[in-house]
Amino acid sequence: MSKIFPKWSNTVPLKVLIILLVLGGTVVGLVTYYFTPKYTRVGYAPTQPVAFDHSLHSGQLGIDCRYCHSHVEQSRHSTVPPTSTCMNCHNQIKSESAALELVRASHESGESIPWVRVHELPDFTYFDHSVHVNRGISCYECHGQVNEMEVVHHDQPFSMGWCLECHREPERYVRPPEEIYNMDWQPESEEARVEMGVEFVHDWDVNPPLSCSACHR
Amino acid sequence: MKRVVKHPEPESGELTGPKYWRSLDEVADTPGFREYLEREFPEGASSIEGVDRRHFIKIMAASFALGGLGMAGCRRPESHILPYAQQPEQVIPGRPLYYATSMPLRNAAVPLLVETHQARPTKIEGNPTYTPHGGKSDLISQASVLNLYDPDRSRSHAREGATLSGEDVASLLEETGGKYSENGGAGLAFLAEASASPTRRALVAELKKKFPESIWSEYEPVDEGAAESALTRLLGEPARPYYHPGKATRILALDSDFIHEGNGHIYHSLSFANGRRVKQAGDPMNRLYSVESGYTVTGGMADHRLRLSTSKVPAFAFRLAARVLSELGQAADLVAELEAAADGLEVDEAWIDECAKDLAANRGESLVIAGPHLPEEVQAVACFLNQALDAVGNTVDLLAVEEKQGRSIGELAEAVRDGRVRTLFILGGNPALNAPADLNWKELQAEVEEVIRFGYYRDETSKIAHYHVNAPHYLESWGDARAADGTVLPVQPMILPLFPSMTELELLARILGREQKEPYELVYETVTGMRAGDDAERVFRRFLHDGLLAESGYPAVDGQLAEEDVRELVAGAEFPVPSLSVDNLEVRLIRDARTDDGRFMNNGWLQECPDPITKIAWDNAILVSPRLAEELRILPGSPPVGIVRRNPNRIQLGRQVAPIAELELNGRKIRGPVHVQPGLANYTVVIPVGYGREFDGRISQGVGFDAYPLKTTDHPDYATGVAITIVGDETMQLANVQEHWSMEGRAIIREANKDYYDENPDFAARMGMESHAPPNLGPDAEARQMPLHERSRQTPRGYSLYEHPEYDGRHQWGMAIDMNTCIGCNACVVACQSENNIPIVGKDQVLRGREMHWIRIDRYFSTGRDDAGEIAEDPQVSLQPMLCQHCENAPCETVCPVNATVHDDEGLNVMAYNRCIGTRYCANNCPYKVRRFNFFDWNEREIGKFYHGPLGPKGMDELHKMQKNPDVSVRMRGVMEKCTFCTQRIEAAKINQKAAAGASSDVEVPDGTIQTACQQACPTDAIAFGNIADPESEVSKWKERDRDYAVLGYLNTRPRVTYLAKLRNPNPNMPDYAQRPMSAQEYYSRNYPNGGAE
Repeated sequence: MSKIFPKWSNTVPLKVLIILLVLGGTVVGLVTYYFTPKYTRVGYAPTQPVAFDHSLHSGQLGIDCRYCHSHVEQSRHSTVPPTSTCMNCHNQIKSESAALELVRASHESGESIPWVRVHELPDFTYFDHSVHVNRGISCYECHGQVNEMEVVHHDQPFSMGWCLECHREPERYVRPPEEIYNMDWQPESEEARVEMGVEFVHDWDVNPPLSCSACHR
Repeated sequence: MKRVVKHPEPESGELTGPKYWRSLDEVADTPGFREYLEREFPEGASSIEGVDRRHFIKIMAASFALGGLGMAGCRRPESHILPYAQQPEQVIPGRPLYYATSMPLRNAAVPLLVETHQARPTKIEGNPTYTPHGGKSDLISQASVLNLYDPDRSRSHAREGATLSGEDVASLLEETGGKYSENGGAGLAFLAEASASPTRRALVAELKKKFPESIWSEYEPVDEGAAESALTRLLGEPARPYYHPGKATRILALDSDFIHEGNGHIYHSLSFANGRRVKQAGDPMNRLYSVESGYTVTGGMADHRLRLSTSKVPAFAFRLAARVLSELGQAADLVAELEAAADGLEVDEAWIDECAKDLAANRGESLVIAGPHLPEEVQAVACFLNQALDAVGNTVDLLAVEEKQGRSIGELAEAVRDGRVRTLFILGGNPALNAPADLNWKELQAEVEEVIRFGYYRDETSKIAHYHVNAPHYLESWGDARAADGTVLPVQPMILPLFPSMTELELLARILGREQKEPYELVYETVTGMRAGDDAERVFRRFLHDGLLAESGYPAVDGQLAEEDVRELVAGAEFPVPSLSVDNLEVRLIRDARTDDGRFMNNGWLQECPDPITKIAWDNAILVSPRLAEELRILPGSPPVGIVRRNPNRIQLGRQVAPIAELELNGRKIRGPVHVQPGLANYTVVIPVGYGREFDGRISQGVGFDAYPLKTTDHPDYATGVAITIVGDETMQLANVQEHWSMEGRAIIREANKDYYDENPDFAARMGMESHAPPNLGPDAEARQMPLHERSRQTPRGYSLYEHPEYDGRHQWGMAIDMNTCIGCNACVVACQSENNIPIVGKDQVLRGREMHWIRIDRYFSTGRDDAGEIAEDPQVSLQPMLCQHCENAPCETVCPVNATVHDDEGLNVMAYNRCIGTRYCANNCPYKVRRFNFFDWNEREIGKFYHGPLGPKGMDELHKMQKNPDVSVRMRGVMEKCTFCTQRIEAAKINQKAAAGASSDVEVPDGTIQTACQQACPTDAIAFGNIADPESEVSKWKERDRDYAVLGYLNTRPRVTYLAKLRNPNPNMPDYAQRPMSAQEYYSRNYPNGGAE
């Protein structure tokens, strides 16, 4: 009986396996890189209807975050300011500026300014600002160096894994309560920070939830 | 080879365990019911209609292939944040804002606290500042928020169907007022709903002054005025009884459902429950006697219940009064008169005598309550009895109310017939539906030249009126009202009217041509007028803030009822005891537990909420007793011994198939499905009114049948001489939820008599399988000895195979439910629905067993006998709220293939919706059957169009969207859901606590901060929730009581929800006294057939 399969066919299963593994690995690799918020979200910087410049207001002028995001300490939302907050200053300063046309129009008509959302969590995720800023987590940890951003961009991935990084090791992220809104705060050293963090976590009984019920309702 | 594992056949002894049954079909044990039980889900609940699996996969594969081609939609859509231009004061986006208001209903309003999210009212709660209610509410007030967002509500003023502007209406009203002011109002008439608004009262008084010739009449299809008019007659001044069941140790309810409906029922239920809150053996507990024709919620709570047709209740009341009075040695003349009036009544004399003795022996602490539909003479006798028993001033107050303003609808009808009415205002109500049938209201209304209807819906009455003036919802209007005790409450708006509308107050003010027309101004004037001399602005602010005007209740009257007057009244009374039979039936029209008199007919939450006793959702039915059913031959034939064989058509796989009957009374006929209800008086037919509306709303369309044609001026609530015929072979399906998820003969509800409990405080622990189970959680188990707060963290595994989650969270949440106070009113069901965005599914889907309620009230009947062939005529009812038990060893978690349901560190069994792939294994493995599956996208699809697939309309109604609680995910198709212990409230409390703690360690949520929605609504305070790791918390104290037990505890599921066993407090001298409650009799006779249970 002649051979049905030539000799080279002996290695075919192995080759197929290797190809499949490589292919599979590549697909998995691509998906984990490109389909995750780290790729899709970080760096997202939409054009806003009014070119509000954080680096100017917060950085140069030194306006406190809470002047505009006034309910961040009380509410789930940090609240994008009402038009009237802009007009507190801009009815005096640059009151004729063309860039502020929409702001003045909104103030007059009562229509909202349609700010484009930069940071958006899925509907089934309930994040709460108040509990974070009141317990030693600075704006900086999630939103980045906003006081240097001309146009606000998405700084961190906001994926569940990323949230849990901090929830698992809060001592690496908490800072003194008086420095929450200080975007330029620098710890003396990484070790000093962790040392301080461990103390805070102990003294304030910081115990960030790791269960589903913490954010999903 | 595949090994076949066979379960051992149960021994005959095991098969005769205790028997609870939830339907006649179950007790009859028909083959259909067996088959139904053995199915995993009710028929159809788990299959797609008309599509088999293979076909489905074929289609889906094709659509995936198509969907994949374009790769469109990869970009995330841009979304916007729209801040206010001017932020309103007090509004913080993301935080709820509460307003105090009240829901006016007939002549008593319910004080409320309404949760709003950026001006959208989303959830109703009771106002805790009003102490008699203790922050509690009821079913209807909970559901009323949905009426605000009813897409079928009238959206404009109209004239003959054409839209009218607000200015047009205003000028119409002012012109009408001007026209009639010239002739003193001759030809002008009003028909209004009852109201408890002091401002309306003032306006009506003004109206009567300005238009002396006009007719002001008031009409309510469910009238509660009998006691008031009896008292007014006897005392010479208007008065109304106000009961304090909490102060009474002996209560007799004469055909009265006082804890469930009518004036002040929230106070009644809370206060009644306070009299039954037994903390330990030896604590006092009240005793309730009930004499009734139907099976009411009050009857279900009764310690002694006597079935008696309503038309015999007057005679019963007279005889009982006679016995009580002679027991007390009072009013001998009246006694003779009463005995004479009760002549011909045939009931167990011993029942009356012993009841009378018990009431008399507890003089000063006993109370007699007569149902509001009973005639004035009975009310008078009941009041006199209370006076003789020293109840007045103790367990009942006679409040000096304001004089009745309205004439009766009959007088108005006469005026219309005489042609004396040219312009008729119909303010609210719905006479075209519910006016007494002998008035022929529709024809009557057509005779009037000009009819102006003020109403919320364009309903039966508005359709035949010339003008429709659009009424606002109470959550969008200014007003005021009095609570049952007279306390003045505000009705304040929290949202601008969604549609152009005008309040009743403004309407009247405009007719009067007043300068002040704004309802706000009118209310301001009334309320500040009541506190003349004080700073008006402060008074009003305080009024709105507290949600009540302190100490504005009605004062008590001083007067005494004179025996003479009562005797005269009784002498004139003619209530011959009818002889009832199948040819001469009594019909009793009752207010429906859900739709009231029909006004909440278009409310989906209420329609889908099953009736507390019949458990029928989405329909009303003609309720007949088993005896009558037998005589009508609609009960399947008599069963042979042991095995029961009955017509399998009655319940087909969980769907009740009801025969249709026709009732005839004086030539007027109605037709509807028949439901056999044990516990009714044999020849009384009970029908809830308010269904079968001609108003075709999305919800109300085609639901139920109209029973109002049997209502007449002379016999509005009950009548005799009714004939019933079964209409051929016609049948109708009823969505009866009691057939679903049967629990077979286990000690699920544990009951004992009070005196037995006093001697055996641990009876609950000694019932059920776990009491003699291996020591996992049995009475001797190590775990039992451990204090609760320790056990909650450690949870010894017993013999569980599965690893436990770690319970190392700061709090450990748990719940306890006191079945001794739960009355089964369903307030929790709708409170949960409104808090947790639970959709409704419609009758068709309820028939398939797909209702979505996270909490349900299981209702069991028990007869005391272990005889499967018997259909009880007089069973006891036991009720049990059933919700996710948050088992520490949760069976659902172990079977979830995707970890969508897991435990958190604080003991919650959590459901991650976005992980769920819808295998439904969890629901299958849940012994409590509390998991609910989204078979369709209930929120996005229209009821009745679920099967249209992609062709059906999609999207939630804009109005409905506004009701949704923003703190809870709206679930989509294919996802399992269940009670979360209101995790959003828990998280909110924890977050608030932590945020407030700031840089400190004060992060433990204090006890009492969190109330679950069901607990907050519960009008009997039967639910405790909190941290069981804290031994001082309320719930820990409840759980440490000796009556505490876990349902199906022997499964070692270790539920975090436990129940406090139910107690009954029967009188040993009564002829119907039994050593044990009927359910316990069944349990013991089954488990200990040879005795030895002690």
